[in-house]
Amino acid sequence: MNFIYSVQSEWIKTKRSSASWLCIIGGFFIPLIYLLKFFYDGNSINSYKVDIWKILFNQMWQNMATFLLPMGVILASSLIAQLEFKNNTWKQVHASPQSFTRIFFAKFTVIALMTLKFFLFFNIGILVVGVLPSLVFDHKLPIQGIPITYFLRANFNYFVTCLPILAIQYLISLKFNNFLVAVGIGLLGLIGSLIAMPWKYVYLIPYSYSPMTVFPGKKDFPIYMYAFVYFGIIMIISYIIYVSKKEKG
Amino acid sequence: MYCIETKNLSHRFSEKEVVLNNIELQVPEGSIYGFLGPNGAGKTTTLKLILGLLKKQEGSISIFGKPFDKHRIEILKQVGSLIESPSLYTHLTAKENLKIWQKVYQCPMSRIDEVLAIVGLSETGKKKAGKFSLGMKQRLSIAIALLHSPTLLILDEPTNGLDPSGILEIRELLTKINKENGITIIISSHLLAEIEKMVTHIGIINKGEILFQGTLTELHEQQTKTSSIVFETNDNAQTNQILQAKGLQSSIKNEQVIVPFTDRKVIAESVAALVHANIEVYQVSTMKNDLESIFIDLTKN
Repeated sequence: MNFIYSVQSEWIKTKRSSASWLCIIGGFFIPLIYLLKFFYDGNSINSYKVDIWKILFNQMWQNMATFLLPMGVILASSLIAQLEFKNNTWKQVHASPQSFTRIFFAKFTVIALMTLKFFLFFNIGILVVGVLPSLVFDHKLPIQGIPITYFLRANFNYFVTCLPILAIQYLISLKFNNFLVAVGIGLLGLIGSLIAMPWKYVYLIPYSYSPMTVFPGKKDFPIYMYAFVYFGIIMIISYIIYVSKKEKG
Repeated sequence: MYCIETKNLSHRFSEKEVVLNNIELQVPEGSIYGFLGPNGAGKTTTLKLILGLLKKQEGSISIFGKPFDKHRIEILKQVGSLIESPSLYTHLTAKENLKIWQKVYQCPMSRIDEVLAIVGLSETGKKKAGKFSLGMKQRLSIAIALLHSPTLLILDEPTNGLDPSGILEIRELLTKINKENGITIIISSHLLAEIEKMVTHIGIINKGEILFQGTLTELHEQQTKTSSIVFETNDNAQTNQILQAKGLQSSIKNEQVIVPFTDRKVIAESVAALVHANIEVYQVSTMKNDLESIFIDLTKN
């Protein structure tokens, strides 16, 4: 129960924070562009004819996974972890009756939940893009049902590709009190991985997994397993660094 | 029993930089303990070590009679703290800031309104903490420290940057909660005048060493001990001889004869003896060292 209380406490901190706004803006950005495009063309997903939801879903995710998703994750995770540095509150957190393990994992849980919130907004955006133009132009709902299982599985997979980024950004944000260091390293890692995408060892870069899902020729690689392993290793390193920190505030 | 007791507490930031040297802090239960020292004396380092914000290197810390490292969480449940500048989430309101800690301490929600009333911030509504004045921020930080009804409050320079009325408000607030709730308070400051009106005990630290520790009464006794009688006459050398002949430890300084103050009778007897020896006495005065000068003397040496 104590852990839940710590997560709740951490969640309150994200209220009206930059990370929270970023989730809303980042989550609805691509759907908004699609929506505008549909309205401009006078089309709806009914014009796709076959697998209309899957086509829309995959198109939008392709745009998202290449750059916006990892970038959003970099920014959101760094912003949440940096809240304590920015407000000079680490000392208050560490002087409260919570074990360091509890603090470490509660904070990470909130970062992961924030990423899920980002996913949730994006998926709502996809549904709106699917439904709204149909209602406006055809006055009828999309001709095919929503493939919920497909959506959930794909979301889960994309989430797994984000885990190494979440872990590494969390580590950097706990270590450095300058937000720009975390974002700078994240951005370099992401751009580096995009440039190195044709390289056969690109999977060594933890920022590469999300773009790899949409990059031709990389889909057969065991992306999700590598992402999980990378995530586990970085989390262990982060935890050791955090717990053994001599000055905690 | 001591609420906080440290033994041989030493800390260094590097091999050459010794910040604390054998600190033996003893904070009695129910006291308001003023922890005094100039900037950089080691006050914050001591308080951070007590709260576990710095990894202990040497010595022992016990709070409520229990070793801190073995009972960290149990002890921190009963401790409220404010270290250096206010620790507030500036994008949140006063209530939201308190709600964060209410979740951690699992105290009743009603405490939020109670502590806001205690520190006079009930009317802040939707105003974000970032828009608060420094005084309001300090008061909100104290409200956070008080939220879970702690038995020990650790406050590091809580009046820093406050105007005189703000200082007075905080002083009255702390005195009130100490008297009404019996909370032990350790409050650090670099200004004696700022805290001498509320503390019961004082510890003076400089260059990482405790120079004085005791009750305020003991410090006042030291003040009396360091007072002097000053004579201004037409013949200082003869005055000095006469006073020394009476067994007084007189000396000449800045064309004045100075005698340590022991008793008021000494003044009358000395003046009578000087007049009897035909010495013209122009002025006799007592020079009392105020607490501030004792503090400065102690920390200068």
